[in-house]
Amino acid sequence: MAADENAFSELIQDYIVECLPLAEQVGDAFVELERRWQEGDPGDNTLAALAGPLHTVKGNSAMMGIAPAQTVAHALEDICALLTAEPRLRGDEGAALLVSGSGMLIDLVRRAAGGAQPEAAAEFAEQARAFITSAQTGAAASESAGESTERRAGDRRITSRREEAASGPGSVVRVDFRRLDALLEVLGEGMIEQSAVIELYRRLARKVGPSDEVADLDRALLALQKTIKRMEGILMETRLLPASSVFNRFPRLVRELAHAAKKPVRLVTSGGATPLDKAILDRLGEPLIHLLTNAVVHGIESPEERARAGKPAEATLDLRATSESGRVVIRLSDDGRGLDDASILAKAEALGLEVRASDPEQLRALIFLPGFSTVKEVSSLAGRGVGLDVVATSIRELGGTIEVSSRPGQGVSFTLSLPLTLAILRSLIVEVDRERYAVPLSHVTATVRTEPDTMHQINQKGVALWRGDLIHVADAGELLGTGAPPNGSRRFYVVIGTGARRRGILVDRLIGHQDIVVKSLDTTVGRPDVVSGTTILGDGRVACILDVVRILDQRVPA
Amino acid sequence: MSAAPGKPRTGSVLHFADELDRQSPATEAPTPGAELHLVTFALDREEFGLPIGQVREVIRVGEITRVPQARPHVRGVTNLRGRVLAVVEIRTRLGLTVATTTPRSRIIVVGVHDRTLGILVDAVSQVVKVPAATVVPPPEEVLSPGTDYISGVARWNSRLIVLLDLEKVLSLQD
Repeated sequence: MAADENAFSELIQDYIVECLPLAEQVGDAFVELERRWQEGDPGDNTLAALAGPLHTVKGNSAMMGIAPAQTVAHALEDICALLTAEPRLRGDEGAALLVSGSGMLIDLVRRAAGGAQPEAAAEFAEQARAFITSAQTGAAASESAGESTERRAGDRRITSRREEAASGPGSVVRVDFRRLDALLEVLGEGMIEQSAVIELYRRLARKVGPSDEVADLDRALLALQKTIKRMEGILMETRLLPASSVFNRFPRLVRELAHAAKKPVRLVTSGGATPLDKAILDRLGEPLIHLLTNAVVHGIESPEERARAGKPAEATLDLRATSESGRVVIRLSDDGRGLDDASILAKAEALGLEVRASDPEQLRALIFLPGFSTVKEVSSLAGRGVGLDVVATSIRELGGTIEVSSRPGQGVSFTLSLPLTLAILRSLIVEVDRERYAVPLSHVTATVRTEPDTMHQINQKGVALWRGDLIHVADAGELLGTGAPPNGSRRFYVVIGTGARRRGILVDRLIGHQDIVVKSLDTTVGRPDVVSGTTILGDGRVACILDVVRILDQRVPA
Repeated sequence: MSAAPGKPRTGSVLHFADELDRQSPATEAPTPGAELHLVTFALDREEFGLPIGQVREVIRVGEITRVPQARPHVRGVTNLRGRVLAVVEIRTRLGLTVATTTPRSRIIVVGVHDRTLGILVDAVSQVVKVPAATVVPPPEEVLSPGTDYISGVARWNSRLIVLLDLEKVLSLQD
């Protein structure tokens, strides 16, 4: 009995996994078609190409007994068939029906496991019928003139289908992502064991001195290291998904937002093929939705205001992903009014923050502070009491950075830089008062040897002259509470930074670079500000990973 | 890791590991006539007991890494076969002073709900079976505020074993 239930819920999962992307594909295409039809472009063969996915969703829904989804898919098919045959009917009314219907369909598929409302589906089917009937009575008079327009457009859209065909259905296996997680965990253990073996080898080699056997062992270990490295690379690739898997949700969102805000907005996405770890993609949607919402609601002016500024009535949101040296950069730009520097300055002064009005970069970075919002009216769309600080925090939690640039009257651009993966972190291992810590290399700008004449004190706080700048250099022992008496004899400092912020941290030794496997910190231990997680080093000891972002955020006493 | 909650793992370094395996896990709520299986450990001159069902294994103390800004009563984290295990300093939690670890010190690995934690103790005594009927509440006069982690006292031969409510011991909110 329980086994049956499990089998059924697995079937439902399979149904969602198969049909949701199809429903979303159809929905996105309708949003795109609506825009084209408004521009007078009939949209060539797009409609015909959607018959297949719609039919699949309908068939699978029927098979699973999900009647509302079946009804809606069926009604959408009917409308598509009509509009394919009658291009002159392609207009606002039809497009609105297709978009709202596909939105409903996506929702129904997503909630297949329960919670569907048959009434809404039936209502939609009724609307579709009414539309088709009234169209047909009107069409009877004027003969179908659509055939030719339909043909004319040619095969421009064939490319997207060819992409699907490239990896044939026979060579693709669907795998539960948890299995990949488990695989990664096992690989992580393997990496730790490997570094333990290497550590032992080094001790052994020191003890017995050079010999043929030691040299052979050295070679064998090197080969093993390479193999494990390759395994890691392949597994990481397997876990990567294209950025489009998140971007795909946005055309619909922007359309709805723009509609509600009564501002014509066009979303242009590019770099959808850029790969990112699924674990990151899963947590990227929320912050991006937040930024998109902000852009539509606050960033973009009303059509009248845009007309006065000599801008096209339709605003453009540009969302692009690119790979840049081992990281993924996502940039969202709008062509709206730009940040209001004067309001930010006023708000900063009201909050008692010291800022130089002459430094716009410093000024604009303030918008990521908690409780910092210059928006005057609270809107139902964006005014959810959640500020950009939440966006910034979630991006930083992913090991990423966020920066903003703005040109008055020309728009705002947010730049997110993200690591490719979360699970394995390239780190610098340092030693402080005989304790070892991992510092994520993504945030390490430099390591510097302390020379007496470069280290100074201002207000009893350490300061160093580094590349022409004065930066605060804190003592790691104090920062991490090692309990050892402060000594002025630390030999190195590590310069850490995100964005324009830099800080040095004094340490005793630099142990080396290492790929570490991140292990989360049990909440029993607490929620330290300076530590983001733990890892196991080659000698089997646990080391804490420094939370560079939060260390930089703090006004650390040191 | 792979051990089901409530079932002791094999391969423990302790001498009573075999005994653990032979015995079926005790039910946690004692019923009249039932017996309690306890893992007992001594701290100073008191003896404490944990239901064996909550104990996964007992390990020797390896390197414990201090965690900056950790809560009080947290000794640090240690490597348990590739997993990072939080280690609770039970002595200070129970109001005793910190002691240095000795070769006899052990970490009792316990499972509470789906979490696995380590408890640092001076030494593990043994596994005992006591009739549930011998469990009595402690005299109120010896209790003080914040000692609600004592769930009762078991009498066994001539010994008194203080029964600990693990969940309360491990709620380190202070």
